[in-house]
Amino acid sequence: MEALLAFTRPPLDWHALAPELTLLAVGTILTLVDIIWDEKSKQVMPTLAGVGLLAGLVPILTLALDGTDRAMFGGAYMVDDFALVMKALFLIVGYIIVLMSVDYIRDGDYYENEYYTLMLTSLLGMLMMASSRDLISVFVALELLSIPAYMMAAWRKGGRRSNEAGLKYYLMGVFASAIMLYGMSLIYGLTGSTSFSSIASAMALNDGVTAMSILGVLFVLIGFAFKVSAVPFHNWAPDTYEGAPTPVTAFLAVASKAAGMVALIQLVFVAFDNHEVIQPFFWLIAALTMTVGNLIALRQTNIVRLLAYSGIAQGGFMLVPFAVAGQASERALQAIVIYLIIYAFMNLGAFSVVLAVSRKTRSGELESFGGLFQYAPGLAVAMTIFLAALAGIPPAGGWFAKFGLFRALLDAGGAWAATLGVVVAINTVIAFAYYARVLGQMWFQPIHEGDERPIKLTSALGSALVIALVATMAFGILPGLVGHFGEVAVLSTLGR
Amino acid sequence: MVDTIVFLVAAVICLTGALGVILARNPVHSALMLVMTLFGIAVQFVSQEAHFLAAVQVIVYAGAIVVLFLFVIMLLGVDTAQNLEIGALPAQKWAALCFGVGSLALTGYIILAVDNPVTGRPGMGGAIDETANVRLLARSLFSNYVYAFELTSLLLVIAVIGAVVLARKPVKQLPEEAGR
Repeated sequence: MEALLAFTRPPLDWHALAPELTLLAVGTILTLVDIIWDEKSKQVMPTLAGVGLLAGLVPILTLALDGTDRAMFGGAYMVDDFALVMKALFLIVGYIIVLMSVDYIRDGDYYENEYYTLMLTSLLGMLMMASSRDLISVFVALELLSIPAYMMAAWRKGGRRSNEAGLKYYLMGVFASAIMLYGMSLIYGLTGSTSFSSIASAMALNDGVTAMSILGVLFVLIGFAFKVSAVPFHNWAPDTYEGAPTPVTAFLAVASKAAGMVALIQLVFVAFDNHEVIQPFFWLIAALTMTVGNLIALRQTNIVRLLAYSGIAQGGFMLVPFAVAGQASERALQAIVIYLIIYAFMNLGAFSVVLAVSRKTRSGELESFGGLFQYAPGLAVAMTIFLAALAGIPPAGGWFAKFGLFRALLDAGGAWAATLGVVVAINTVIAFAYYARVLGQMWFQPIHEGDERPIKLTSALGSALVIALVATMAFGILPGLVGHFGEVAVLSTLGR
Repeated sequence: MVDTIVFLVAAVICLTGALGVILARNPVHSALMLVMTLFGIAVQFVSQEAHFLAAVQVIVYAGAIVVLFLFVIMLLGVDTAQNLEIGALPAQKWAALCFGVGSLALTGYIILAVDNPVTGRPGMGGAIDETANVRLLARSLFSNYVYAFELTSLLLVIAVIGAVVLARKPVKQLPEEAGR
């Protein structure tokens, strides 16, 4: 009996948990509103969800102003600057995706209310991921963000393609989770701990390179490689991206991928110290992902599929700094964080334009962009900027992301880093080829099916477009903005 | 003495279930027999003082996996309606009653044999020591892993919501929608 009483509740820092609790509360409110007002509540759902996401930014701001690192649950949950930067990114991305979804989901025959609840839950998982410094938390966060995403991919229930998208994503995701769990159990068996810092010190004691630790580490990394759709674990991505409702595709391509990257960052830079295993693995995966993604993208005729493969290739670029995580850890981490932030906005922008155009043309084919400039010059210019950013042409934001990659590679030095740099350079050129094809369609081709009606941009989609556009341009012209976030994130993660 | 009795009873339950899985002609019966076997094994675990394994055995195997079996079997369409009046032998009802009372008695024994958390009285099997698996597990579940633990419950809720939405057939065009 005394033993039962002796248990004391672990101290909870409510301020540190506030962003997650806000999302949880908003999700609950959405569900309640749905239950009480049923169909009448459809109109307010997206507004509520959007306001809720923005409300989540408030505690993040106050936490950032406060500036102290907060650790809870024996270090399993950390709120430091890295976590805050990533949480803010997830919330803003979530807000933009809600804006993109409003009309798409309302026009189609979808269940609206549950859609937003699922998305908020998935975002909650992402926020949790940014703070998790423990294998179990990371796993729960991963499932929390993935399972709603599986269902959102299949949200167009009547469509066979959407069903295929959901099922493929689900099966591959579960498969990846199983592999990852196996790896985690090996690591736990080896080090006797689930917390990242203890794993790092235990591995340092054992020299880190035993067959079992290599297997464990690789299995965990492979699990997340599925999540960020790195080649050769990418086969689910194109079909899922094409079949899923387009806003969900944007969600998967940006938010979900970013969450996978956040997990990888924490695993590689905090938990696993055995760089002699990790670096060659990431070298190979990054080179493969960039090259395969870009080469297949060259042959695509469907714009969403093209963006899917371009997203795979961009993921490859993001994996590059992991290959020099040992030699140039600071620069590498900074490069990844900056790339993630910029990629989020430019890719969301491109998806917004695709959504706007396909609302009129009802087509996902590349030809539907034909002559866009003649009847929707604004959209054509915006798309040009986003594609230029994705290709890495200044002054649009993407150049700074690529610059960060090269800087990390140069800092690391050595033959391997140099070869990877060459691969990156070649891939940048290949990527330009297919982005240019879209540009060519918009500027020089005849109008698709001769339909010259202008495109009516709804206010929600328009705002999403404007936010993405402003951010993309701002990051390109004032790279110090995003660079600052990168530096802040680096200091807190590596200052262990 | 008590151990032997528990072992024998549980062993009979296990073997009957196992035989039932093989011999039953109806796949639903086979699945239910499997539950019986798994429960028997859980009892064996308890008598070996592996309380956590016993709980997992019941929750994961009997609770989740077999129920999944049943779902799949039913989805695949074993829907031949069975008339309960005709097929049943008279002895079956009594056998069911005996098994039910027996299981209840066994549960009661387990409750008595282990520590009573309400009264704090040690059970017949002796006091549980501080380092017992279940207690340590509960402690870490509600201290270091409480956040992940609580969010898992959210995960389950949301999975159910999503699954229901995806699986639900649109019954009819809703009046509000038709009007728009």
